[in-house]
Amino acid sequence: MGESTVVALSSPPGRSGIAVVRMSGPEAAKILGRLAPHAGGWKSHQLQKVLIREISGDPLDEVMAVLMEAPGSYTGEDVAEIYCHGSMRLADNIIEEAIKAGAEMAPPGEFTRRAFLNGKIDMAQAEAVADLICSETRLQSRVALEHLRGGLSRRVKEIEKRLLRQLVLVEGSIDFSQEEGLGEFSREKLHSEAEGVISDLDKLIRTNIPGNKLRDGIRVTLAGPRNAGKSSIYNALLGEERAIVSHIPGTTRDLLRERIHIRGLTYYLEDTAGIAETGCEIERRGIDVGREAARAADLLLFVLDGSLPLSEEDIEMAGRIEHELCIILLNKSDLGLKTDREKAGNLLGARQMLEVSAVTGAGLERLRELIYDSTTTKGLTDIYRERIAVNSRQCNALKRARGAMESALEDISAGKPAEILSVWLREAASACGEITGRSVEQDILEEIFSSFCIGK
Amino acid sequence: MPEQENRYGVIVVGAGHAGCEAALAAARMGVETLIVTLSLTDIAGMPCNPAVGGLAKGQLVREIDALGGEIGLAIDETGIQFKMLNRSKGEAVWSPRAQADKEAYHLRMLRALKQQKRLEIIEDEAVDLIAGEGEVHGVVLKSGRSIGAEKVILTLGTFPNGLMHTGEDQVPGGRVGEPPAGEISDCLAESGFIRGRLKTGTPPRLARGTIDFSRCEIQPGDTDPRPFSFRTEKIESEQVSCHITYTNREAHKLIMDNIDRAPLFSGQIKGVGPRYCPSIEDKVVRFRDKQRHQLFLEPEGLNSDLTYVNGLATSLPRDVQEGILKLVPGLEDARIVRYGYAIEYDFFPPHQIHASMETRRMKNLYFAGQINGTSGYEEAAAQGIMAGINSARSICGTGPLVLRRDQAYIGVLIDDLVTKDISEPYRMFTSRVEYRLQLRQDNADRRLFRYGVKNGLLDRGWWEGMVSESRNVVRAEVRLFSEKLDPEICSEVLGGRENDKIVGRKPAGELVLRPEVELEEVEPYLPGGRLDLSEKERESLKIRLKYRGYIEKQRRNARKMLKMEKMRIPERFEYAGIEAISTEAREKLEEFRPETLGQASRIAGVRRADLSVLMVLLERG
Repeated sequence: MGESTVVALSSPPGRSGIAVVRMSGPEAAKILGRLAPHAGGWKSHQLQKVLIREISGDPLDEVMAVLMEAPGSYTGEDVAEIYCHGSMRLADNIIEEAIKAGAEMAPPGEFTRRAFLNGKIDMAQAEAVADLICSETRLQSRVALEHLRGGLSRRVKEIEKRLLRQLVLVEGSIDFSQEEGLGEFSREKLHSEAEGVISDLDKLIRTNIPGNKLRDGIRVTLAGPRNAGKSSIYNALLGEERAIVSHIPGTTRDLLRERIHIRGLTYYLEDTAGIAETGCEIERRGIDVGREAARAADLLLFVLDGSLPLSEEDIEMAGRIEHELCIILLNKSDLGLKTDREKAGNLLGARQMLEVSAVTGAGLERLRELIYDSTTTKGLTDIYRERIAVNSRQCNALKRARGAMESALEDISAGKPAEILSVWLREAASACGEITGRSVEQDILEEIFSSFCIGK
Repeated sequence: MPEQENRYGVIVVGAGHAGCEAALAAARMGVETLIVTLSLTDIAGMPCNPAVGGLAKGQLVREIDALGGEIGLAIDETGIQFKMLNRSKGEAVWSPRAQADKEAYHLRMLRALKQQKRLEIIEDEAVDLIAGEGEVHGVVLKSGRSIGAEKVILTLGTFPNGLMHTGEDQVPGGRVGEPPAGEISDCLAESGFIRGRLKTGTPPRLARGTIDFSRCEIQPGDTDPRPFSFRTEKIESEQVSCHITYTNREAHKLIMDNIDRAPLFSGQIKGVGPRYCPSIEDKVVRFRDKQRHQLFLEPEGLNSDLTYVNGLATSLPRDVQEGILKLVPGLEDARIVRYGYAIEYDFFPPHQIHASMETRRMKNLYFAGQINGTSGYEEAAAQGIMAGINSARSICGTGPLVLRRDQAYIGVLIDDLVTKDISEPYRMFTSRVEYRLQLRQDNADRRLFRYGVKNGLLDRGWWEGMVSESRNVVRAEVRLFSEKLDPEICSEVLGGRENDKIVGRKPAGELVLRPEVELEEVEPYLPGGRLDLSEKERESLKIRLKYRGYIEKQRRNARKMLKMEKMRIPERFEYAGIEAISTEAREKLEEFRPETLGQASRIAGVRRADLSVLMVLLERG
């Protein structure tokens, strides 16, 4: 049962300058030869300008195409890529002809699957490809690209190496206790090394939470009393009239959500219905939805009408929303500030307060910066520094490793013997192996033989 | 086919540690057995270290004993210094070791062979196999006789094309003063077996009377020598001491000055030696900044005048060996009785055998010991008993006994042989054993007696005794965790060692699990009275408590693997067409031909993705 030859559009669907049709499998060269006979014959890794013809012989398009013979290709199989003019119709025609010539339509992710099965990329890399394809911003693609180049694998391999060094000492003390110099290991040193490994693991684990956000976007939600101007701010940040704005309190009844980008990060900006006790049933329903959204938000922007004094109602309302990351916005700064800054600043335990005017645009640039800064304090800075973001599968493995190292710390302190400490070190190493695809266990003896003088 | 005579069930070629166990096991299982040895004086010889057991090897001996083997009984009777190694670690990695009286050991094993019913010994050399259509039917001896047998077990040691090196001198031979046995190895190679070359070495032997022991450190054995065999009551023999001395920089300098005369570095030796047992010249070259290397002086027997210098394995020329000794404290005037040498020999990379020890290429032919690339008496004996058991089982029409990695060190050893690239002599280490906490020397009986009894190698009484012991231990453990103590009693036991106030009644076991609390401190307070346990049972209860939790964790891992271990790959499985498996993995799988998916998972170069593909194909059928 050999693998079939598959074909698919490799560039995003829709109109574009160029569309890429990719073919992979044992028949790729033959099919390419049939669609685009080339005078000199197809040589591997040489881009050629050729005329694509239908099987019937009718010309389809003049294209650039390349044949990459196995194993020097993305999938590790023979791969042909055809760069045709960017009409979907044309690309579909080429794919259709390739299928007539013996190829099959590739299911989604098939090229990457084959690259993985052929050992061209490891698990972390395979996942990175999927992320790279879906990435919308530069930071996202940079992170994905770094994974693809093996950034995550490399980092985890460094952790594996640290574990291996400790395993060598622990195992050495068991299997070579009769040897001079390998008999005992320092528990203090092992303890501090274990702490080091945990902190390395934490750095990677921390990139998980916002790592999801990288792909899914960070939720920023506008909430506050009616008619404070949330929708005006919403529109101003979007740069378009997305929400209907009026002076009538309770205009916004539904939850609105749009995507904005700030310095390479994707945000989902949400506008909610103003909170009020009164109103019709639809409005109350909208208020509930808004409150739910406010709770789930990564960042809450609590908007007050700065041109009015702070009311009891405002304070009570704020008391009913709990959020650990909140910025207070005093809107309508163009009308003059009437709100007590100090009292407002105490609301919601907010860390920041800012005067803005949706009408004049004053303070909006600062608001973008604040949104960015307050959402990039924790893990995101790690992502920037490491350019790594782990997905949930990788995160689980790292957490398993971390758990094992925590147990190791406990057992080191409790004075447990070497063979028990080894259980945890090996477990941590094997969890790391789930990301890098190999385990250091088989290297333990190798390492002992090469680093120590064995054999009394 | 030549005229055959005396049809045996099993012929064992070679009477070293593998051969003896193989022949005894087969004969005891009711099979007419013949053992062929070059010389009766070779039987169960110790051409290297005069010792049995050691780290990880001690576990092997205990397991062989639990299967009904002879090695444990033999060393118990002839050991002259017993030591439990790794006592400073947990019991899981304790390993028994004993210095042997070489001559007494040889005689003890010879007696066992001679007294064994259905077992015959002849002095001769097997030069060829009687074979046809991928099956072996017997052996051809140098004397010209052809002897038929249903099964043939080859345990050839270092004899196949053995070549000994001392300095520039090269002498063909299996051991000092003994000729090599090359013909049978060449025959195997001719019939398609892949052959490799390994090297090992041995140190000089000194005349004991010429050593000044007063200048050496003394190393006594344990004061309470523990037997290897579950069937030995007590160690009766006299205990002697070993001694320790050290090399020094002057000696190292002498070695470096003569390094171009070392066969190991001059290119004269082609075989690969074990890195865990390097020669002194290798150690000095590789670890130049080491000021000294430890040397153990081991007596070769109570009445022997020979002393073995553990740590000084060498193939340096004779004058250099003499020169080194002159520089080592205590050995200045020592006379060398036999010079150290290195020996190269043929082996057959063991991916060519099944886990039953039967070769893949030829039915009814079994390999055990150094022929499979291992080193060590214990490793050899372990393979020997398994080859003996499985050849006899096959004659009786029962399937092979293959121990799993979570059952025994022996299981790990053989599984490693059939799944790993063996490029240097393979030695057992505890770190090779992933389920090491439950595979201990103290519970080898609980793990393996049942197989010993089932195969008829052990009396049923042993099994019953073990079962009753282990029942007592489990019962005591259950009591500890069901009988609760009042908080005041807990505090009293802890005696201020605990800062937190104890609230509510606690199972006694919970206190015992604390590393600082001894079982005996809690025992008087047990509501059901003291535990009724023998000394041995008490010890095994304590070990169980120490690893409680950790062992369960490892068991869970073992269970996860079990599905893969049970998934059999058909013998003639076609890997060629499966392109979803990487080329490297495909080549490895074709070479090793794993019998189960579990074995496949341990072959280097076979990745997780390859296994997933295989699993899907196997499930599809």
